[in-house]
Amino acid sequence: MTERDNSEGVIDPSFWRGLTQPRVTRRQALGLAGAGAASAMLLGADAGLAGAALPNAKVGTKAWWAKQKLHYQLNFANWPYYIDVLKGHHPSLDHFTKTTHIKVNYSEVIQDNPSFYQKIRPSLAAGQSTGYDIVVMTNNSVQLGYLIELGWLIPLDRAKMTNFNKYAGPLIKNPSWDPGNKYTMAWQSGWTAVGYNSHMVKNPGTSIELLFDKKYKGKVGMFNDPIELGHAGLLAVGVEPATSTERDWAKAAKKLQLQKSDGIVAAYYDQSYIQHLKNGDIAISQCYSGDIFQADLNSKYKNLVMMLPHEGAMLWTDNMCIPLYAQNPLDAMTAMDYFYSPLTQSVVEYYNDYICPVPSAKQQLLHPTGWNKAALAALKPEIGLPTTVTANSSTVFPTPARIATSKSYYTFKSQAEIDAWNNLFLPIIQGA
Amino acid sequence: MEQSVPAHHSRSVKPPRHRGLWAKRLAPYLLSLPAGLWLALLFLVPLFLMLSETLKSCSPASGVCTMTWNWGELPHTVNLYRTQFITSLLFALFATVIDLVISFPIAYWIAFYGGRRKNFFLIMLLVPFFVSFVIRTLVWEFILSDNGFLFSFLHHHHLVPAGFHVLGTSVAVVAGLAYNYLPFTALPLYVAIERIDHRVLDAAHDLYANRRVAFMKVILPLTIPGIFAAFLLTFIPAFGDYINQEILGGTSNTMIGTVIQNSFLVNADYPAGSSLSVVLLAISLIGIFAYARVLGSRTIEEYL
Repeated sequence: MTERDNSEGVIDPSFWRGLTQPRVTRRQALGLAGAGAASAMLLGADAGLAGAALPNAKVGTKAWWAKQKLHYQLNFANWPYYIDVLKGHHPSLDHFTKTTHIKVNYSEVIQDNPSFYQKIRPSLAAGQSTGYDIVVMTNNSVQLGYLIELGWLIPLDRAKMTNFNKYAGPLIKNPSWDPGNKYTMAWQSGWTAVGYNSHMVKNPGTSIELLFDKKYKGKVGMFNDPIELGHAGLLAVGVEPATSTERDWAKAAKKLQLQKSDGIVAAYYDQSYIQHLKNGDIAISQCYSGDIFQADLNSKYKNLVMMLPHEGAMLWTDNMCIPLYAQNPLDAMTAMDYFYSPLTQSVVEYYNDYICPVPSAKQQLLHPTGWNKAALAALKPEIGLPTTVTANSSTVFPTPARIATSKSYYTFKSQAEIDAWNNLFLPIIQGA
Repeated sequence: MEQSVPAHHSRSVKPPRHRGLWAKRLAPYLLSLPAGLWLALLFLVPLFLMLSETLKSCSPASGVCTMTWNWGELPHTVNLYRTQFITSLLFALFATVIDLVISFPIAYWIAFYGGRRKNFFLIMLLVPFFVSFVIRTLVWEFILSDNGFLFSFLHHHHLVPAGFHVLGTSVAVVAGLAYNYLPFTALPLYVAIERIDHRVLDAAHDLYANRRVAFMKVILPLTIPGIFAAFLLTFIPAFGDYINQEILGGTSNTMIGTVIQNSFLVNADYPAGSSLSVVLLAISLIGIFAYARVLGSRTIEEYL
């Protein structure tokens, strides 16, 4: 038995759409979609919920924060490979615990936004703690929107954002997805770009078309997140994602469906793509900017290269937020602001190599002035490159011009739009 | 002993005829009551609940479901994922047949020639399966990976054509299924073969049957119930399996289990997930009934 022939699997995306249309009409027939048209509400189906007071209505006010006490413990949920590591420890967190006496339980449990949301949603819906005091969600995900609109996040304590107010960069201060940083503070930003193995790919060029090159049949990895996958498709068909229409989405889906039926795609990956890229199971993949940089620092994987395609690379930001019913909100607040100290950020970024939320960390990487001096020196043999490489990297401290050429994700205006998007791109990921 | 027999005898005669008739009629049902309750509580009720879930509409944001009597969901979803059903059916079938072919000689050998070491050989067969299902599959992913030690070696010595790979193909998924469900086939087969009285073989040979004929006409028919049990025990879990496809499979061989898992845990599309689960169960049930009919199932009364 060999790979099944997929030529018959190419179905006009409008066919999928047609099939799935009743879902929207069902909702409309119920009169539940009222909120969708009026405002930029994502939650057409939850209009009833949104009309009532949100569950976080009385939480996160000045008076509420004044009553909170430190519990000297913190449960932090983050993505893998996203914080400095030295011999099984996290120097930045160690320093935090040393100075504040807050014990941090740091767990790398988030592999993607949708499934992590499904893990914490039942607790939130039941009015119970998720077990985490800080969770990190991506701005491009509908799930961060859900958390904000359902009132499932604790508004931040304005009084505890001293470092943030002083050092946060313009890219992530007062961002469009959370005006005034009411609920979130960025953890890191990054690009979704194209990563490849330079031993296997000789003339990569500068185009996103590399992902669609038949020469690398069965050796291309794509992301299993419909948002990321769809945007790669949009860039490939030459559409500006932020202003795209449903017609463009269909075009992108068609291109991606063809990419799959031509046998180009090896698999649709979550965070595990980086391992497959390292193993050589795939030659080219959609990638997150920091992953390739990190792998590249390791002499074993020198051959991994990141390409920001000339069609543009998608720019995203992962955001720390405090889920409602969190048990240690004040500890969470303290930690979030701690990560906005340029000293802390220099240590985190030396390992991470994503886009730094604190531009002045660059100076700290070049000339450390405090506790970070020892921490950076200790990390150096592990990382193997001088701190100046990170400090001068254009993908860690990008110029405003570089940021300007990056692409923003499409902002969904209603649940119906999300459904339409998913109905186009989900069947590609989980289709036969 | 001798005293108790007449006592027992007299007791069974004493009750009036009328009541005895009722008791006789009801007995099989009363006796099957525990099993019936078990079936109702742990199978029919969940099935019914799942079926009712398919009629609801759920918000992907809050997960709140409201009953909307949406009868269209089930046919719509099943139609959308028809190919994955067929893929799963074929993969499970292939894996089961492979398992039967592999484990029959093993079970036969252990049962007939294992001697005093039968238990030792059985344990040998089972030991690899003491390690968790997922971990074993992950190790296979490691072994079969394109730049793993096996394929680096094969490619390096040009023992396989360039570009040859196993990970991500249907072959890898079927092999993974066959490997992981092997004990479910081997054990029932062993039990069935072990029960065969060796003297029937001697009798067959006395009647001038050669080894092949003796096997085909005596051994095989006697192991049919075992083969039947092995088939069901392997085929049904393999049909709904998603771990093997998820870890060893690629993009063109998605099985229905993967789609169901994603519907529930990633997309929060409970109605779709329930629809597919109901159909998966229904197909399994139809399979069981059809197979039982063909092989001659027995009614409750016949058993009693």
